[in-house]
Amino acid sequence: MSDWSAVTRPVPVPNEWTRPFWDAAKRGSLELQRCQACGHFQHPPYATCTKCVSVDLKFEPVTGGGTIYAYTVMYHTGDKRFAPAVPYASIIVELDAAPGALLAGNLLGAEYTEAKVGRRVEVVFEKLNDEITLPQFRLADAKPAERGA
Amino acid sequence: MWENRCKIAISGVGYSKVSRAADVPLAAHALEAVKGAIEDSGLTLEDIDGLSTYPELPATGHAEVDGISVVSVNCMMAMLKLPSLTWHMQVGNNNIGGAVQTAAAALLAGLCKHVVVWRAMHNPKGTYQNLPGAQATGPAQFTGPYGFGGPGQHMAVAYTRYLERNNQSRDKMVTLALTQRKHTQHNPHAFFYGTPLSREDYFNSRMVAYPFCLFDCDIPVQGAVAIVMTTAERARDLKPKPAYLASYGQRLHFEVAGRIGSLANYMEGGASSAKLTWERSGFSPKDVDVAQIYDGFSASVIYGLESYGFCKEGEALDYIQDGRIELDGELPLNTFGGSLGTGRIHGLWHIIEGALQASGRAGSRQVKDANVSFVGASAPIVTGTTFIFTREPY
Repeated sequence: MSDWSAVTRPVPVPNEWTRPFWDAAKRGSLELQRCQACGHFQHPPYATCTKCVSVDLKFEPVTGGGTIYAYTVMYHTGDKRFAPAVPYASIIVELDAAPGALLAGNLLGAEYTEAKVGRRVEVVFEKLNDEITLPQFRLADAKPAERGA
Repeated sequence: MWENRCKIAISGVGYSKVSRAADVPLAAHALEAVKGAIEDSGLTLEDIDGLSTYPELPATGHAEVDGISVVSVNCMMAMLKLPSLTWHMQVGNNNIGGAVQTAAAALLAGLCKHVVVWRAMHNPKGTYQNLPGAQATGPAQFTGPYGFGGPGQHMAVAYTRYLERNNQSRDKMVTLALTQRKHTQHNPHAFFYGTPLSREDYFNSRMVAYPFCLFDCDIPVQGAVAIVMTTAERARDLKPKPAYLASYGQRLHFEVAGRIGSLANYMEGGASSAKLTWERSGFSPKDVDVAQIYDGFSASVIYGLESYGFCKEGEALDYIQDGRIELDGELPLNTFGGSLGTGRIHGLWHIIEGALQASGRAGSRQVKDANVSFVGASAPIVTGTTFIFTREPY
C-alpha cells in the first residue's frame, strides 16, 4: 500500500472562484459549484456555467459517493516529494450527485491495483495544515478503520 | 469544398541536429533548421518575407527564456534581419499547426510570398514535467496535491478509461512502438535512427505512468525543424516538387481548463477538426494513402485514428495490427518514425513528413502512390489541427 506519511504534497492556493470549495473541505464537507439558473454542477470551478453560461453560481454540498472515472498509477519518481508513495494511484472520480464533474484524488487505504474504472469510492478528508484539507477517496466498501489512511 | 483547396504548398524543409542535451542555445538549432528549409527550396534570405511559429515549452516548472528554451518570432527576426519581411505571427493556441494555418491564410491574403515556419524544442536540465512547487495555484490546485504533474499523467488517466471501457489491452500498443521504430531507421535526422527496438525492450521497459511505459512516451530532445510555405503557383517554380495543401481544420471543442480524464475531450476535438478537413478537401478517410498522427504519447494515435474516422471507436488498437500501418500496408502510419522515433519536436515534423510523402521526396521510406497524405499535427485535445497534402493540385 502506498505510504503517504512521508509525502509532502503541494498545498492548494484558493482564489476567489475556488475558496468556498476549500472552506467546505476544511469543515469536512464536499461542496461543488452549481449553476443557479440550470442546476448544473461543475468542477473545477469556472467563471461561468459550462452548460448555460450563467454567472449565477453558488457552492452547494453534495454527497461523497461516486465511481472511478479514470486513473493512472504513477511509477515515475521525477518529483522526489512523492517518491515514498510510488507506485500510487491518482484517480479521477465522477460523483453520483454531480455527473460530468470530475474530481482528482488518490485512492487511499487500498492497494494501487484496486484502482479500476467503474469501482465505487467515497470521499474522505485529509488535513494538510490548519488552512487546507484535501478531499480524498477510498473504496466504498473499505472498513471504517482505514478511514483517512 | 474549400475555394482555396491546393492554392498553398509546402516547398522546402529543414532540420537541425537533434540531441538529448541542450549543449548549445536553442536559437542555433532553430537557425540551422530555418536556413536548411530556405536552401532546400532554392531560395535565399532575401526571398523570405513571412515568419510564423508556436514557441511554447511544454515542460512544466521551467523558465521560458527566448533563444535558450524557446525561439520566438522576435528572436528569429533579430537573428535573420530579413530585408524583405512584410508579415509575422506567433500563435498561442492550436500549437504549431495553428502557425502553419495562419501562414497559409496570410499567403492567401497576399500579405507575403514566402513564409518560414519553424518549431524549436528545448530539453531543460532536470525533470521535464515537474509537479507544482510547494504551492499549487490555478487549475493545478485541484490536481497537483494528488501527484498529477504534466500532460503524461493527464493522458494516462484518459487512456485507462479508454482501455477499460473498450475492453482493450495496452499490450497491443507494442505494434505501434515497434512499427514506428522500424520506420525511424529510414530517417537519419531522427534521435533513434540507428537504435532498433524489440518486443522485449518494450515489455521490459519501466512503467512511467500506467498504462504508459517508457516507449509510449516521446523522448525529450533539443532540436528544431522548419518549412517554407508559398502559393502553389510560386511553389511550382521552386527547386523541390511542391506538396499541395488540400485543406486543414482545427478542433472546435473545449472543456473547462483543468478538467482531466475526459476521453470525450480528445474524441470531440479530433472529430471536429477532421470534419472540417474532410469537407474542405472533398476527401474521406478511405481516400488517404499515408497518414502522420501526432504521437507525443502513444495513445494520441489511437484517439486520432478513431476520432478522425479511420476506424470505429474502441477499435484502433486492433486496427494497427497485422501490418496495416507498415510502409506497404493499407495505411502507412508515422512513416518518419513519429515523435516516438524523432524525439519530442511536436507536430511540425508530422507536417513535414506529410508534405514529403505527398511530393514523393521521402526517400527509402516513400510510400508508393502517396497521392493523398493526411496529418494530425497534435493531440486531438486542446491543440488539435489536421491537414491534407496532395501530390497533384486537384
